[in-house]
Amino acid sequence: MNKNSKHVLAVVAASALALGTVVTSQASAAPKEVTIMFQGPLTGGDAQLGQDQLPGAIFAIAEYNATNPKVKIKLEKADSQCDGTVAANIAPGVAANKKVIGVIGTSCSGEARNSFPSYIAAGLTMVSPSATAVGLTDPKAPDRGYPIFHRVLANDKFQAPALVKVGAKGVTSPKFYIVDDLTTYGAGLALYAMPAAKKAGTIVGTDSVTKGTADYSSVSTKVKASGANVVLYAGYTQDGAKFVKSLRDSGYTGVFAAGDGVNTSDLPGLTGKAGEGLRLVAPDVPFDLLVTKEKLAAFTKATGVKVPGLYVTSTYDAANVFIACIKKGKLTRAGIQSCVAQGTFDGVSGAKIKFDRYGDIIGGAPVGEFVVKGDKIDYVGIA
Amino acid sequence: MNFSVVTSQFWALCLQGVALGLIYSLISLGYTMVYGVLRLINFANSEVFMVGTFSILFIQVSVLGHAVNVDPIHGIQLLGALLLSLVGAMLVCALLAMLVELVAYRRLRAHGTNRLASLISAIGTSIFLSESFRIFTHSRPQTSPRLLEKWTFGEIAGANFRIDTVMAIVASIAIFFALDQFVNRSRLGAAIRAVSMSEENSRLMGINLNRVVTLTFAIGGLTTGAAAFFYTTIYENTQFNVGFNLGIAAFTAAVLGGIGNLRGAFYGGLALGLLEQFASAILGSQWKAVTVFLVLVLVLLIKPSGIFGEAVQQTRT
Repeated sequence: MNKNSKHVLAVVAASALALGTVVTSQASAAPKEVTIMFQGPLTGGDAQLGQDQLPGAIFAIAEYNATNPKVKIKLEKADSQCDGTVAANIAPGVAANKKVIGVIGTSCSGEARNSFPSYIAAGLTMVSPSATAVGLTDPKAPDRGYPIFHRVLANDKFQAPALVKVGAKGVTSPKFYIVDDLTTYGAGLALYAMPAAKKAGTIVGTDSVTKGTADYSSVSTKVKASGANVVLYAGYTQDGAKFVKSLRDSGYTGVFAAGDGVNTSDLPGLTGKAGEGLRLVAPDVPFDLLVTKEKLAAFTKATGVKVPGLYVTSTYDAANVFIACIKKGKLTRAGIQSCVAQGTFDGVSGAKIKFDRYGDIIGGAPVGEFVVKGDKIDYVGIA
Repeated sequence: MNFSVVTSQFWALCLQGVALGLIYSLISLGYTMVYGVLRLINFANSEVFMVGTFSILFIQVSVLGHAVNVDPIHGIQLLGALLLSLVGAMLVCALLAMLVELVAYRRLRAHGTNRLASLISAIGTSIFLSESFRIFTHSRPQTSPRLLEKWTFGEIAGANFRIDTVMAIVASIAIFFALDQFVNRSRLGAAIRAVSMSEENSRLMGINLNRVVTLTFAIGGLTTGAAAFFYTTIYENTQFNVGFNLGIAAFTAAVLGGIGNLRGAFYGGLALGLLEQFASAILGSQWKAVTVFLVLVLVLLIKPSGIFGEAVQQTRT
């Protein structure tokens, strides 16, 4: 061995030692637990939406943790009450928590929009199970969620025509009256319902009633005076329930159809008999129709919930997007962000989930039709 | 703008506006009575209303045992349930209003503290009550059972004379008439009017000031409790912040009519209810608040003491 060879060997040995040290220190620094945040309404008027969804995330993470992985996942909850103002207040805290590497959420579009500034700045990826407003992924919208926002369901460009179709089903010469609640979600859904409604029949009136209004008598009078036979409502459960009760009390006997904001398991209890036959849509297929009996039993065991609510499917899928990335060893926010943006994931329905550049699911997703029967909301089929 | 709905549904909008307006009027008495006597705004009155709505829920669900989705009841059972709910809510609100006076006002008054201190004290009490109920209910709205089947007496010119609406209108007018008579004709009413004219002179005349103030709060609580009953019967829901919007509306009604004036509160509430209905119908519901407050500002610009403000001054002098 000549002198040069000895030098090379020494350098290689030193490099190997150094590399080994780095690798060893990285391995010892690798977290044994990472945190995923569920963000949505857990209290407040729209709490049922979040409470219906949360078991989907709990179950997905329980399934993963039960496999004894090297890195376990901890699920934490952030309650933004389906309220943009609340979301704007809590998002900086979530973003500042370095343990959180991804957010399942938000449930509502307004919450998402107001969380974007904090999460974009922190590079914190969101995968929403139910925020459907088109603007959240619109390349031209100034307040879009690019590059951190994704959603595992169809947006309101798909939901709005389905809402019109379900509302007009079986109605000869539909005369639509479209009402929204002035929220990011409600105003957007109503806007996208207009072209489809014009095609399917006539729009005889529109109105916007602020979310949280107590008295719906004025708009009910207007609906009745307009001769409408299909009322389309774009808003959330509490106001939808007040509106349908007021309409029925005013003597309106036509169809009442609403978007997914109203499709929560507490709806029949809030509307009483006034809600009977109320038609609903949602870009979701019930979890219990997609999984085996064994899996459903495991879901019940893990969550304590016997009948999965709406959006358990999409919340389960959203959680599994993060889980797939964590399985690939992506344990940082940056790693999760590139993995979610570029990866292809398995949905519980068997469909593949892949996101386009702005976070929408490529190829869209089904929109389901539902109807209120007694104290339950029954799934009818794909709208 | 949609004027056709006004021509076709004029009387329907009037009827709904009157019913809503009278609920505002009943709540606004809680503001106007206290202001008349103490020259202070009782900001806790909106939460007295909120507690009233929850007390009705408690009476109907926990005491009488009606489930939220129960079928409507009839006859004596219905009458008893409604009367118990009405009287219960009025008593709860009156007691709470008296407690508010004792805790948030009396001690500060006794020490001759700045009026601002009382104002902050009332706001503090208001926040304490609403936040307590927020925690207690997890911020979730509550639905009350529909005990009263909403049958209608008939429809005249498009106006649907539904039992709950008619009941609210008739009973509210009766309560106003009784209160007006009480304040203007009874001995205690004379004491209230005397204190509202001059606290110092009333004391010199031997009027027990604390007693009059407590009575005034109690009366405001009673009418606010009645408003809670009619609100719950018509809208069948409540939540921890229900008092906020209703309280703002009732306070606006009191200012519109001339705060400190009973009849001003009555007509201010009516005007506000009608204004809201017609603004929603013509301009769209999203313009309701804008229109109402624009009108309020305009009225106050022209008549700073409210529509009936001058009349108050005359009766006081």
